[in-house]
Amino acid sequence: MDPKLYERYSRQILFTEIGEAGQLRLLEARAALVGCGALGTALANLLVRAGLGSLRIIDRDFVEPSNLQRQTLFVEADARDALPKAVAAERRLRAINSGVEIEGVVADLGPHNAEELLASYALILDGTDNFETRCLLNDAAVKLGVPWIYAAAVSSYGVTMTILPGVTACLACLVRTPAQQGVEETCDTVGVLSAAAGVIASIQAAEAIKLLVGKREALHGQLISFDVWSGRFQAIRVARNPGCVTCARREFRYLEGEAQPRLTLCGRDSVQIHEHGRQLDLAALGRRLQPTAAEVRSNDFLLRFRVPPYEMTVFADGRAIVKGTRDPGVARSLYARYIGA
Amino acid sequence: MKITVRIPTAFRRFTGNADTLDCSVDTLPELLGQLEVRYPGLQPHLRDATGQVRPFLNIYVNEEDIRFLGGNNYRFHEGDEVTLVPSIAGGSPV
Repeated sequence: MDPKLYERYSRQILFTEIGEAGQLRLLEARAALVGCGALGTALANLLVRAGLGSLRIIDRDFVEPSNLQRQTLFVEADARDALPKAVAAERRLRAINSGVEIEGVVADLGPHNAEELLASYALILDGTDNFETRCLLNDAAVKLGVPWIYAAAVSSYGVTMTILPGVTACLACLVRTPAQQGVEETCDTVGVLSAAAGVIASIQAAEAIKLLVGKREALHGQLISFDVWSGRFQAIRVARNPGCVTCARREFRYLEGEAQPRLTLCGRDSVQIHEHGRQLDLAALGRRLQPTAAEVRSNDFLLRFRVPPYEMTVFADGRAIVKGTRDPGVARSLYARYIGA
Repeated sequence: MKITVRIPTAFRRFTGNADTLDCSVDTLPELLGQLEVRYPGLQPHLRDATGQVRPFLNIYVNEEDIRFLGGNNYRFHEGDEVTLVPSIAGGSPV
């Protein structure tokens, strides 16, 4: 190994389970991270510092001030400029380790792009915030035969499970159908401690490194949960479901788009409109909106404006987030009026 | 049968912060019924309107998924340890 690289990663190489051979494998490894929030930023930071070969970061959102408490790659200027998380993370990670190939992709992972965005990676990492996307990741990973690491954190605790298609239980073995909106807890209703996300992301990072250096026998093999407030750790062995719709019957319902909604509620008071392939000229749209909308602001990636009491954020691919309502009808009509039918 | 139920963090606000409960029941439906009577706030997190265990809740007996032990027909043994594991989504998209 190049002496400079050896020096950089020496403390990790000294850990005998990795060693020089493991580090060389890690330097060639390619992983894709979906979702760059509390878990995703912590995980990306750990893996990029560890000397991963290449990391693709797929995220659909932009940095906001309320993210800064726990999303450790972002700084105040990112929130002020409303930078997409994938872009802000890519910039910060390149500064942390210029030897890693990092690619931020501003996109809403859906059935239309999941296989294309995730194929050719040795590992898929979950930093998402919802079960629809996780079920889609599970479909894609099982279909492609690629390992993935499920993780979620909320309040003072989190969970993680490493999924090896065809070997371990998959997400559909564990979770039969997605929860109805509103019953499961989210960070918007009960908050989240950065420390909880940090612990779970660290377990995820260790699992990722084991997989990428070829130490599958060292994987923890369980559904792990940890609560940083009570200090309670729990590990449960999840059996494969012999009748699992995804990993046994190989029916990929999420990948086929059956479960993909065109509008989803997100956060306390927002609706997201999933429009794809409607390429917008944000600059032209901004000029058109100037006379009617307030506080029209834009950067290279998105346009934001207010039509009180609503605020709309529009991305270049046509996707939009309408803040100030939970009524899909209101969101749809605002979209039609200001962006296009 | 006397069994111990481990309550996950997510549910403790409905159980007055209790993290383990002792119950005397023979089957899962009996256990859920007893929990719902003792802690009404738990009910929507345990079963749906038709009385089915919510799909996002996994129930383990001594770390084995109760679905693979017979589900509602499984008869508890003295000293069984039952763990409720709700799936969590995390995140805050906007």
